[in-house]
Amino acid sequence: MALTLEIVTPEKIVYTKTVSEVVLPTKQGEIDILPGHQPLLTVVEGGEVTAKGDSVEHLAIDKGFARVQNDTISILTEAAIDIENIDVAMVEAAQKRAEEALQKAIDENVDPARIEELENVVRFAVIQKLAKKGKL
Amino acid sequence: MPSTKEIRGRIKSVKNTSQITRAMQLVAASKMKKAQDAAMSGRAYALLLAEILDSVAGQEIAQTHPLLQAREVKRRGILVIGTDKGLCGPLNGNLFKEVMAIKDDAVYVTIGKKATQFISRTKRPLMADFPLSDKVSYAEVRAIVNYMLELYEDGKIDSIEILYSAFVNTLVQEPTVMRIVPMTGIHDLLEDIKKRYKIDLSDTAGDEREMIFEPSAKEILDELPALYVKQIIFQSLLGAKASEHSARMVAMKSATDNAKNLVSDLTLEYNKARQAAITQEILEIAAATQFN
Repeated sequence: MALTLEIVTPEKIVYTKTVSEVVLPTKQGEIDILPGHQPLLTVVEGGEVTAKGDSVEHLAIDKGFARVQNDTISILTEAAIDIENIDVAMVEAAQKRAEEALQKAIDENVDPARIEELENVVRFAVIQKLAKKGKL
Repeated sequence: MPSTKEIRGRIKSVKNTSQITRAMQLVAASKMKKAQDAAMSGRAYALLLAEILDSVAGQEIAQTHPLLQAREVKRRGILVIGTDKGLCGPLNGNLFKEVMAIKDDAVYVTIGKKATQFISRTKRPLMADFPLSDKVSYAEVRAIVNYMLELYEDGKIDSIEILYSAFVNTLVQEPTVMRIVPMTGIHDLLEDIKKRYKIDLSDTAGDEREMIFEPSAKEILDELPALYVKQIIFQSLLGAKASEHSARMVAMKSATDNAKNLVSDLTLEYNKARQAAITQEILEIAAATQFN
């Protein structure tokens, strides 16, 4: 139990806990981090983070960066949620709304920034659904 | 001595003013809470982002990135963040004192009407001004950031700096100049941020082993610096908003208190005048009866 896992999003620090093992979805595949890992900076893909401690916890995260240093894993991402708390129906509704808004935005040729925001929502919704299904 | 009627009129007008300032105080207080929460919650993200960038910036390959490369600063590009409305105490005044202190060759980009007015009135080179709504969104920030980065890449400016009222607490807002690009000073900036906001990120110092980059330092560097510039400016804007509403709340509160004091002073004066008038009248009646 010597690893600290920390997940930070623009809204808040979502998760801070001491665990013994963490599985990260990186660009080159899943990697498993154990205490004493060499310092590492990696690009993480949207997917599922597994934190193993007294209990095993699964979190869905959006794409971002992860840094391992001094037995601390800091994940910097746009969004993160505990898989337990994912409500598939709600996510699907949110995804549908975002997709419709996105289609409208593309048709009307609005601000590209807004389009990107909506794309992020859709992507994270897909990640959440996949993560939830994988666990069930 | 003014007549009782005049004093009554003044009391009434001061009371009216205090009602207005009180209403503004309440509005500012509720906005302040929201703005402060927004400013506080984003700090951890901005800090971690800066830390990650700091660890890549030490790599040799980082020196090839335009935003990380050292560059001789001939003309500074300064983003001044003022407020749209006044009535926020000395907030803008303090900020403009900082502007006055800048003697180097510099061009300005402003946010907020007050800042725009000040820069153009003092005949400083103003490149552009941007509007900003009360609820700061990424879309607004992106326009500003892209514009500044373009100027930097074209060589029209040699640094991107931001001058804003940093939010310390409700009573204290500190005018601050922060150099964001070139990112050669990122390590010092990071220490400064850490000292200023006591954030409870885990401390990772003391691990001296060499860092591995996956897939490669180059790939990480592709997006990170631009994201960092966007995030740090976004964060500063949130801080500036929190400062604005805090300063306004405090200014309006003291205005309301002053009005209250003034009313009580005026009431005393009114009563004195009234008493004097009554005494005068009694004296006149007494004098009149004596002569009869």
